[in-house]
Amino acid sequence: MKKILLFSLFTSLLVLSSCDNDDPDIPNEEEVITTLVYTLASSDGSDVVELRFEDLDGEGGDAPVVTNGTLQANTTYSGVLTLLNEQEEPAENITEEIEEEDEEHQFFFESTVSGLSVAYNDADADGFPIGLSSVLTTGDAADGVLSITLKHDPVKDASGVSDGDITNSAGEIDIEVDFNITVE
Amino acid sequence: MLFSLLFIVFTSNVSAQTCNLSLQGYVEDEGVDSPLNAVSILLVNKEMGTVTDKDGFFQFEKLCKGTYDLRFSHVGCTPKQITVNLSKDTLLFLSLGHTINTLESVTISEKSDNDAIQSTSVVSNQGIIDNAEENLSGQLEKITGVSILKTGSGIAKPVVQGMFGNRLTILNNGVSQSGQQWGYDHSPEIDPLVANKLKVVKGVGALEYMGSNLGNIVIVEPDRIEKESFLHGRTSYFYETNGRGNGLNLQLEQYSGLIGWKVNGTLKKIGDRKAANYFLNNTGTQEANLAVQLEMAVSEKVLFDFYASTFNTSIGVLRGSHIGNLTDLEFALNNEVPFFTEEKFSYKIEAPKQKVHHHLFKLHNKFFIDNSQWFDFTVAVQINNRKEFDIRRGGRTKTPTLSLLQNSLFLESKFQKNFDNDLQFKTGLQFNAIDNTNNPETGILPLIPDYLQYESGIFISNSKTINAFDLELGIRYDHTLQKAATISSTLPRRIIRYTNSYHNISAVLGGKYNYEDRFKVSLSNGFTMRNPAINELYSGGLHQGVSGIEEGNIDLKTENSFKTTLGLEYNDLKSLTLESQLYFQYINDYIFLNPQDEIRLTIRGAFPVFKYEQTNAMIYGWDFVGRYNFQNRLNAMLKYSYIRGEDRSDDLPLINIPSNNLFASVEYRFSNIKWGNKKLVNQLFVEINNQYVFEQFQLNEEQDFVAPPKGYNLMGVKLSINTNIANLPFRFTFKAENLLNEQYRDYLNRQRYFADDLGRNIILGVQLKF
Repeated sequence: MKKILLFSLFTSLLVLSSCDNDDPDIPNEEEVITTLVYTLASSDGSDVVELRFEDLDGEGGDAPVVTNGTLQANTTYSGVLTLLNEQEEPAENITEEIEEEDEEHQFFFESTVSGLSVAYNDADADGFPIGLSSVLTTGDAADGVLSITLKHDPVKDASGVSDGDITNSAGEIDIEVDFNITVE
Repeated sequence: MLFSLLFIVFTSNVSAQTCNLSLQGYVEDEGVDSPLNAVSILLVNKEMGTVTDKDGFFQFEKLCKGTYDLRFSHVGCTPKQITVNLSKDTLLFLSLGHTINTLESVTISEKSDNDAIQSTSVVSNQGIIDNAEENLSGQLEKITGVSILKTGSGIAKPVVQGMFGNRLTILNNGVSQSGQQWGYDHSPEIDPLVANKLKVVKGVGALEYMGSNLGNIVIVEPDRIEKESFLHGRTSYFYETNGRGNGLNLQLEQYSGLIGWKVNGTLKKIGDRKAANYFLNNTGTQEANLAVQLEMAVSEKVLFDFYASTFNTSIGVLRGSHIGNLTDLEFALNNEVPFFTEEKFSYKIEAPKQKVHHHLFKLHNKFFIDNSQWFDFTVAVQINNRKEFDIRRGGRTKTPTLSLLQNSLFLESKFQKNFDNDLQFKTGLQFNAIDNTNNPETGILPLIPDYLQYESGIFISNSKTINAFDLELGIRYDHTLQKAATISSTLPRRIIRYTNSYHNISAVLGGKYNYEDRFKVSLSNGFTMRNPAINELYSGGLHQGVSGIEEGNIDLKTENSFKTTLGLEYNDLKSLTLESQLYFQYINDYIFLNPQDEIRLTIRGAFPVFKYEQTNAMIYGWDFVGRYNFQNRLNAMLKYSYIRGEDRSDDLPLINIPSNNLFASVEYRFSNIKWGNKKLVNQLFVEINNQYVFEQFQLNEEQDFVAPPKGYNLMGVKLSINTNIANLPFRFTFKAENLLNEQYRDYLNRQRYFADDLGRNIILGVQLKF
């Protein structure tokens, strides 16, 4: 008798299991950085180059779109970094978040392009560089890769870090993108 | 040795004639739930006596109505007496438990359940309390063939003969633990101090239990409530130097009339751990656990018990192991001391950290038809809430990056009948429903989707004894229905639903031959099936701790496992026991995370991609335990476990297979130490132990970011003292682990990329039974 009762209980459970769960809530991915733009303007204003790394759907899904650039030889450019979350409508400017927490962030510029160098052009309250604003100088014609890294919680006062040497910076990497650069 | 006594009395309804009454009973060993033979029972006032047989059974016939004093005694125990008022035919169920003041016997941290055909090892209550600072996995590691998959010091999963996570069922109080078992860095949410008994079945199939095991199973059980009408209990406290950890456990129980109750609570607070040469910052743990147990006999044939437990923990994860991408990992690998290491101790737990709550409610009813057949009905509800916190930008560190709520409902109906011809028949029906939901507060695409899972199962299991042979034959069928609602990885985000239905069959055939208790040979064969788990099918995203992108695979099929074990036991019935178990497991379509050739570019850098794929795997090994006892004074133990795993399709070794290891200990007992005429100490035990863990030499270089760490040797000592203070039995323990402060890293600790394992730890403990 008990068994029959139990079987009927199981059957009703099987019926119960035919229902679906509710639609999951799609999270609001406000922390995502989809886009990094490095805008370079030559000092005389004659050349403006935009290096762009864009991955709208985040880590999975479609591959990112990278826009590389060609720079003029022996020229000084002022560089500005902009970070965006383009999943939001309109696009959210993440640069502001970095500015608010500038003591916890630093960009690093490394290049394999001969003669190309990047210097910091900004500082946080403690006088350590951030890298949102920079000065890029090219040498003679060359090819190579410019990589831009954003570190969260770096040790800014470690040896070489404020000169742009990433080696002793510790912290963790929030952004790391590479651009192919041609100087001509 | 004293023993506590639990008994349940059943009397038949047949009215008996005077002086034709029978008094029968079964005696079992509370530690292992197996019958206890050779217990002598004396009817004190009648001067009649008998001894239990190998089923723990005894009987007295032709007794008159009246009151009888029964005196139970067992080898090495102080006799204990109970009183029975006999008015009709009566059956007693007794279990003899070894209480804290029974410490004249040696504490064996691992013993075998001799009655089981499949190899079963037990950690006793005393063993658990002596190691109160250990989590569940640490407790289980004392058993040969069990290793731990760790993430630092606070997070540990048991690995039994190479099986863990989705492949290892952990049965908490008869209910299969339902949480986020899939995660490598998710500990089982169980307090071993709230449980009183831990069992590991290193078998070929656990047919009675629901859950996706491939033969092995971990069983966590609280003791039944002692049938003592006065309020009593026990308490224990420990302090450990490494992490400056403190832990307090208190158990109280009472049986009044037909109702018994027991309350058991634990508080633990451990701060930053220390490796041999530096602090491991942010590796503290805090726990607060409570369990309430009630037992009630409604009538002679209907028994109810209720169990509710809550487990709550916060676990810090080493700050220096939180990395951004592969470049960070390379930096960390080349750095001897992890980043963010400070010369400052703290109890504070900050991000990255985990906060987990697990609650269990269980109602169980035992319904006896008669003495040889009964039903068991169980209803259980589990609530599991897991939140994980990472370092985040823009003040979001306080918002979890993973926030999962899992509710589950378990129903079970079992029937057991013991036939006169030594045939034991068990059957049962089980149903389990899981509702798993992501909390969207994270602001991150979830790693695993929301899902519903319904499992329904039926089993039949028979065991029979024919002379010196024990035989076991069983079969189980499960149906699993999964309904997952995933979120697309491409834009626009949309919901994709999947429904899967799986049929799983398991079967076991085993036998054991017992030659005069000296030699025992057992051979078991099992076939088990495991359908792919939700994370293996649908997980997707960046796995921070290992710098990889993990991808589920919707095309996965069910795994099929064939396992054979051969057990050999030798016992010279005096001082020497040897136990050996060889096992061989072949898993068809073994699901594993396979590194892909692809390196995926993201704004956070390039990441290697890992995808769940299937192969044919072979896992085999040997577990050995040898014990030698010299005149009840000296105890020596030697344990060795060897294991290999091979990917047969690709001719590669399997990853995450434990290292081989060798453990030896020698213990000496001093009794009745006196100071003048005054007895200071009842017993003093001195133990020296040594563990050697071999290098995991089987892996190929390209299978990991860095070669497996070197082998290491850890030495330990333990002193324990049993003494009476103000007539109360106290036990003091003093342990030193990693005595030589060896600097080492362990292959199965996922933090080995970043930091050394724990340095020296000295643990002081005090226990009191009242």
